[in-house]
Amino acid sequence: MIRFIGRRLWDGALTLAALVTLTFFVMRLAPGGPFSRNRKISPEVQANIEAAFHLDEPVWQQFGRFVWGVLHWDLGPSTRFRDYSVNDLIASGLPYSLTIGFWAVVVATLVGVALGIAGALRRNGITDYAAGIIGVTGIAIPIFVIGPVAQVVFGLKLGWLPVGGWDGTWRSLVLPVLVLSLPNIAYISRLTRTSMIETLRENYVRTARAKGIGWRRTLWRHTLTGALLPVIAYLGPATAAIITGSILIETIFAVPGIGRHFVDAALNRDYPLVMGITLLYGGLLILFNIGTDVVRAILDPRLRNER
Amino acid sequence: MKMKGLTGLLAGVALAFGLGQAAMADDVLDRGIGSEWSSLDPQVNFDAAAGFILMDAYEGLVIYGPGGNVVPGAAESWDVSADGRTYTFHLRDGLKWSNGDPLVAQDFVNSVFRTLNPATVSEKGYYFYSVVQIKGAGDIANGVTKDATGLGVTAPDDRTVVIELLTPAPHILNIIGAFQVPPLHTPSMQANGAAGFTDPAKVVSNGAYVFREIVPQSHVLLEKNPNYWDAANVKIPFVKYHVTEDVSTEFKRFQAGEIDVTYDVPVNQLEDLKTSMPDNLFISLSTEVTYYSFNLTKPELQDVNVRKALSFAIDRELLQEKIVKGGAIPSYSYAGGFDPAYKGPQMPGAEMTQAERDAAAVELLAAAGFGPDNPLKLTIVCTVAEDRVRLAQGVALMWKQKLGVEATVEPMERKAWLDAFYAGTWDVFADNLVGDFAGAETFLAYMRPSAEPGYNWVKPEYDAQMDVAATMPDKASRDAELAKAEKILLDDMIFAPIAVEPSRILVSSKVKGWVPSATGYYNSQYLTLEP
Repeated sequence: MIRFIGRRLWDGALTLAALVTLTFFVMRLAPGGPFSRNRKISPEVQANIEAAFHLDEPVWQQFGRFVWGVLHWDLGPSTRFRDYSVNDLIASGLPYSLTIGFWAVVVATLVGVALGIAGALRRNGITDYAAGIIGVTGIAIPIFVIGPVAQVVFGLKLGWLPVGGWDGTWRSLVLPVLVLSLPNIAYISRLTRTSMIETLRENYVRTARAKGIGWRRTLWRHTLTGALLPVIAYLGPATAAIITGSILIETIFAVPGIGRHFVDAALNRDYPLVMGITLLYGGLLILFNIGTDVVRAILDPRLRNER
Repeated sequence: MKMKGLTGLLAGVALAFGLGQAAMADDVLDRGIGSEWSSLDPQVNFDAAAGFILMDAYEGLVIYGPGGNVVPGAAESWDVSADGRTYTFHLRDGLKWSNGDPLVAQDFVNSVFRTLNPATVSEKGYYFYSVVQIKGAGDIANGVTKDATGLGVTAPDDRTVVIELLTPAPHILNIIGAFQVPPLHTPSMQANGAAGFTDPAKVVSNGAYVFREIVPQSHVLLEKNPNYWDAANVKIPFVKYHVTEDVSTEFKRFQAGEIDVTYDVPVNQLEDLKTSMPDNLFISLSTEVTYYSFNLTKPELQDVNVRKALSFAIDRELLQEKIVKGGAIPSYSYAGGFDPAYKGPQMPGAEMTQAERDAAAVELLAAAGFGPDNPLKLTIVCTVAEDRVRLAQGVALMWKQKLGVEATVEPMERKAWLDAFYAGTWDVFADNLVGDFAGAETFLAYMRPSAEPGYNWVKPEYDAQMDVAATMPDKASRDAELAKAEKILLDDMIFAPIAVEPSRILVSSKVKGWVPSATGYYNSQYLTLEP
């Protein structure tokens, strides 16, 4: 098992290194730089500013500087937000993104699995149809439509919750979490339902029932562990995607998270910030995938022997 | 029984939240600032978002009063020498920093020097060596000298600031009235460095407000400064500046009462709002002009008559009213618009009706040898912003319908667009420029030296005329000379003027004292909040 994890970690590190290197050089290919602007400043001052951020050095040297920084846990200064280093910006924004992401995953998993089980057990019943409708709408309607609609309904018409911003209480958490979890509730409930139905037909479930084990016990001990495997496989990448993919949510609900920096940094050619966030998001994605593999290996002994 | 207790508890919690909100709402002015401030370092910041915050937190020698007029700030009065090259400011008696330290004239000198010092890595030093030319400023900014003694900003005593200029600059008050020249509290700078500006516990300021909370990507909370000299007239206890990147979210937050003053308004809502919220919607001129520059290195566009034909064929009113619909004001000149005192010229053909201009355009282009068999082909490079693309498509359509010109629109993201300009990879460049102050000179000076890369417009007469204008000490005679320069510029039609961009702001009915201004500065100290 330890060898298995070690191997996955090594692969992950190599992937991350490749990702970061590629991003660094592709970023430099885009026209314009962090200090491109209308001609107003004198050339000497422009040169001074670029030198202060080492933009006058050859690209390979800048890359070396970046790698050296990463090894020393220093992602450098942001060129757009002059008061902060990239470390500062990530430290300030990540807690918000993680909080929203964490609750969205929890809500999506609990509600999604519950709906899926209910649907599988009472097939073609009211719960099943309701879950199906939530599923289809959740997957079909994009976040940038559901988000503003939720703002209008719960923020403007009903006045129950703030439209946006972060007031430090649970109130500003509700809408972003709900909207972010909705597509995943949909997906997880469909996944659980299908997998549940399949598992219920498995021979070992029938054997368990035939041996006289109670219906409830069969469900919890035998069916669920098997049925949840695909859900768990989905959860790893989904968690990473929820945390990294909250860009839209953070913009729509004005949440001061890290996701909003992602696109802006690229548009502003804030090279250090782009690199910092790429490293962070790439790392998270890889770690969650490894985590999923490990959990699956624990639940399903067959996978352990693959490598 | 148990349920009742729980319900009671929930009601209590809800009540506490409700009451908390109501109590806060009364004394906090919530303002939107668009995207996040680039820096709260008063010698480094360079954008409007930070400008709003810093105007409340710091006070310069002069400040912008309601409506954008320059009024005394830290200086109660000033004298100008006869040649217009020396300004002597007299500070108010008993000025204090927010921590109680006395505020002295040297604090202003230190601020200008720190802005110019290459070690600060500030972009805004050009206000002092280019927009107005302070003695010795260029040498410090360009690293020729590290010595502050040559700088034309001095403090002969604790209550006097003297600014010496290389050339007269009647617009200097507009420059130092904006957020460009706040004083610098040297002891905290020495103790904390620039990091102190983002720590509310450490930052020392001298404006109507002091920093209380700074949360990146979220908000800045300001609190009334009891040590401000005019604190008795500051009515609103707290001002909260919210990052409002998404304009439609900002609008909904305004409707919900979470934001009292917005940064912008969704363009697609503008028509509705004119009728549904006429008392809250403020559309006024900003100092941003839009114009379409012609590439003078392209042989077809070297003929002034071709450029005229293209400019004539643009129906500016139709563009703004039917196509862009963002509230911009159609324009036939470049540098005027927001300064009523400046009587500038208009482009050739402005006196004709659009129908006459259209007819003239067809003739001019035919005379230049372009027609159905030999159509003029152009690319218009613009930014990807939705209204900019719509504008470019409108212009291309007008050229196609009226002149048979085959124009293609090439939208680019902003940084690429900026680079494309200097690379010259365009025929027509959808240009826009934000002035440093609401006056003609800021725009006309931008075209100098005329031969510089980009516009590639070699015009010694223009430079000579601008030199003449630069010697004029008083604003009226200076404006007259500037107008002559603008005529040279417009007559050559190196660009087609399009519009003056608006500022679109929604102001809650609770907020009193809002006076629209082209400078775009609305200090919170002049506003009041009604319950």
